[in-house]
Amino acid sequence: MTDPVTELKVGQQVPDFELTAYNPVAHNFEKVHFADLKAAGKWTILFFYPADFTFV
Amino acid sequence: MGAALITVSTDTEFVHLAWKRDEKELAEVKYLMGADPTGNLSRMFGVYDPSSGLALRGTFIISPDGTLFNSEVNFYNMGRNIDELMRKFKANIYLSRKASEGCPSKWKDEGDKTLRPGPEMVGRVHEALNE
Repeated sequence: MTDPVTELKVGQQVPDFELTAYNPVAHNFEKVHFADLKAAGKWTILFFYPADFTFV
Repeated sequence: MGAALITVSTDTEFVHLAWKRDEKELAEVKYLMGADPTGNLSRMFGVYDPSSGLALRGTFIISPDGTLFNSEVNFYNMGRNIDELMRKFKANIYLSRKASEGCPSKWKDEGDKTLRPGPEMVGRVHEALNE
């Protein structure tokens, strides 16, 4: 099963994405749009981990 | 530093809330906790593990123009170190402005020695690092 986007390599453009997140400061749920982060001039750090209630 | 740190797992946002509320280690957490229950974002970055349905320990640094600057996946039980991440993040910011320079392994912060790769450095990296 080959999915071309899993071949994302350094130097390439990251496609737009969105996801729902828990915001612990506002204590609410919100949609995160990658396009909005870019428009705001922000760097994005994505930090993947296997599961909540384990160590990160 | 003008960065959005987003943690991502295949848990839902509801589980993120419960974990944040119950785990004292997370008391100071201010970053967004992203939910990827479909695994689609994890797949995009090549960290989706189909045998478990979970995401591997991947860290990705993306510039404001959408370029992937740093891509790294740790082994299953290898925790990450914030100092390591910040060193790479600072170096990526620096190099996004100074594309002709290189940050050597000991580079830690702005002002530290960088290298300018070119013909005169071939076989002379030691001298360039120590001049």
